[in-house]
Amino acid sequence: MQKEVPVANKIKTDLHEILQIRHLTDSTFVLRIERKGLTFQAGQHVCVGPPNGIHTREYSIYSAEQDDYLEILVKEVENGLVSPSLKKLKSGGFVVVEEPVGYFTINKALPKNQKYVFIASGTGISPFHSFVLSTPGLNYTLLHGVRHGDEAYDADAYEAGRYVLCTSRDDSGNYKGRVTQYLKKHPFGTDVHYYLCGNCNMIHDVYDILEEQGVSTDNIHAEVYF
Amino acid sequence: MKRKIGFKTLGCRLNQFETDALASRFTRMGYEVVDNSKDTDVFVVNTCTVTNQSDQKSRYVVNHALTHGHIGMLIITGCMANHHKDQLEQRYPNAYVVDNQQKSAIPQLVEAHFKKEIVPSNQSQGGVFSYAPAAETFHTRSMVKIQDGCDNFCTFCIIPKVRGRAVSRPPQAILENIKQVLDYGYKEVVITGVNISRYNYEGLSFSALLRQILAIDRDFRLRISSIEPDSFDDDFFELMKHPKLMPHLHLCLQSASESILLKMRRMYTYKLYKTMVEKLRKLNPLFNITTDLIVGFPGETEDDFQASLKAVGDLQLGHVHTFKYSKREDTRAARMSDTMPEPLKTQRSELVRAAALKAKIAYRRQFIGIKQTVLIDTLNAVYAKGYSEYYIPVKIKQSVPKNTLLKVHIYGLETEGNDPCLLGEISA
Ligand SMILES: Cc1cc2nc3c(=O)[nH]c(=O)nc-3n(C[C@H](O)[C@H](O)[C@H](O)COP(=O)(O)OP(=O)(O)OC[C@H]3O[C@@H](n4cnc5c(N)ncnc54)[C@H](O)[C@@H]3O)c2cc1C
Repeated sequence: MQKEVPVANKIKTDLHEILQIRHLTDSTFVLRIERKGLTFQAGQHVCVGPPNGIHTREYSIYSAEQDDYLEILVKEVENGLVSPSLKKLKSGGFVVVEEPVGYFTINKALPKNQKYVFIASGTGISPFHSFVLSTPGLNYTLLHGVRHGDEAYDADAYEAGRYVLCTSRDDSGNYKGRVTQYLKKHPFGTDVHYYLCGNCNMIHDVYDILEEQGVSTDNIHAEVYF
Repeated sequence: MKRKIGFKTLGCRLNQFETDALASRFTRMGYEVVDNSKDTDVFVVNTCTVTNQSDQKSRYVVNHALTHGHIGMLIITGCMANHHKDQLEQRYPNAYVVDNQQKSAIPQLVEAHFKKEIVPSNQSQGGVFSYAPAAETFHTRSMVKIQDGCDNFCTFCIIPKVRGRAVSRPPQAILENIKQVLDYGYKEVVITGVNISRYNYEGLSFSALLRQILAIDRDFRLRISSIEPDSFDDDFFELMKHPKLMPHLHLCLQSASESILLKMRRMYTYKLYKTMVEKLRKLNPLFNITTDLIVGFPGETEDDFQASLKAVGDLQLGHVHTFKYSKREDTRAARMSDTMPEPLKTQRSELVRAAALKAKIAYRRQFIGIKQTVLIDTLNAVYAKGYSEYYIPVKIKQSVPKNTLLKVHIYGLETEGNDPCLLGEISA
């Protein structure tokens, strides 16, 4: 009975040095920071904030489980509190990082050749980037919904033919229109595991489409950003 | 009477600024703010740790408050809380030690403390899983904690910030604890935690733990307290058939609108919830499902609300805790813009309450004419009262000692009040 037990209410936070900032568009950037031994499963998120403040926000981990650094993909939200201040940071500076958490992970008990469809809006692509880089040989198709083609963040990280860029405002993508329209026209079947990540309107609509296509809710996993 | 909060600040300007910001939040919340600990309900020490001397000063302030009779809530925050959390928690077991990153959540922590939603994580020995056996008070039902903290990050909830990361208690300690309370004479054990369906101790899942608990070779009733409907495996439903496991779950729904569930970042859909209820009722058509519902969440349209209202009847819920959504600072929902006006929230919550009472009466009526096993926990001059296996209150107009398990024939249902009891008589 007197065995040592772990104590909750201790959210481990630490200052991590910024190693690199890579700007992908005017508003979106990849923040690479020291890993400091943090362990995580692809799909989990960390809470990150500027070093001098008391506010943090959740960000999915963008880098791979085996990388010796951590990366997050951040879009600056106009009039937001945390994302604009993260954008102002420079390499050599620091961010506050809480330990990784979350359940938006791949079930390791599923067969190796399990087919996955990843559906992202905007920076919702981040956990999928981590899935793909962490697990070579993953059998997936990634649908990425953005407004303009320049938001195809690090598209060359994905194997040819597996990444479908859906652009709603121009025709520079593989498909002109929303991911929902693409999914309606190109059903992937009921034995696939679907992972949805991004804004809740997209996720809501995709749920409806998948339900119409006969997909069981057990096969649908969602991570809502906002 | 106004609650009184005292602040003492050490160190830098930033600390002072943060104390001022906190103090003005508490003033807005209706607290009287003072700069010492005298007669306060809450005393906050915003510490500094730049030098050894500042450490000493910080400790002095805390000790001074305690030696001068401070018995209210004690919060130690600031840089010393970050650097010496373990030491401080050991030395001041009744204090909340709050890191700088969580400082802004102090108002929510205080609210949660007064609502008895939380206690200091380190209160008494044994950390969050401590259990003070209540042999003398001799209740009939013993709570055994299996888990603490939550990593779900629902947008309305402050718990992940104030309670911390999910941790699970080792199964051996849980099993020993249960045997111990059974030795004290408890006949019913309730397993509790902040998010118990996420129990996971070195790969041992909630269902696997449940299986081990049910295998304890003793005669007792097992209940599961409030649970999130988001990670049940087939084994869980299989175990629900076990005679020791009582046919009641408080399965938190929060809303029956799919889009509101997404905005809340709940980890299930209403469709999935309905399937779970169907599975449980297939095992036992009388299975008692009770729930929590939040009304007036930001962006809740009339259709969203109607979905929740309809669910109350459709799911034949045995009881509904209805909450009007209230903003908790530092949560994601607090930053949502389309908030609902208070009168509309009130109106919606009244409608849910009325529907819930109707559903509860309809649900309870089904037990008339049926035999129930009741664990008596109250005795007065007029009646004895206890809960059936379905967690429905039953009154008997006979004198029966507390902590007795009785077979009771149900012959009626009270007609008054929000929680009408079944009426029964001891059956042969
Ligand atoms: C589990 C989880 C993982 C997340 N992962 C990422 C990630 O990998 N990358 C990322 O950029 N963001 C991610 N987010 C969103 C992120 O946590 C912040 O909400 C976002 O950076 C805005 O924070 P802010 O303080 O700047 O704005 P706030 O002041 O918090 O919010 C301002 C408004 O912006 C809206 N908003 C929030 N996020 C976005 C967005 N991405 N686009 C448009 N509007 C938005 C909110 O609804 C809010 O009303 C994630 C959120 C969650 C819950």
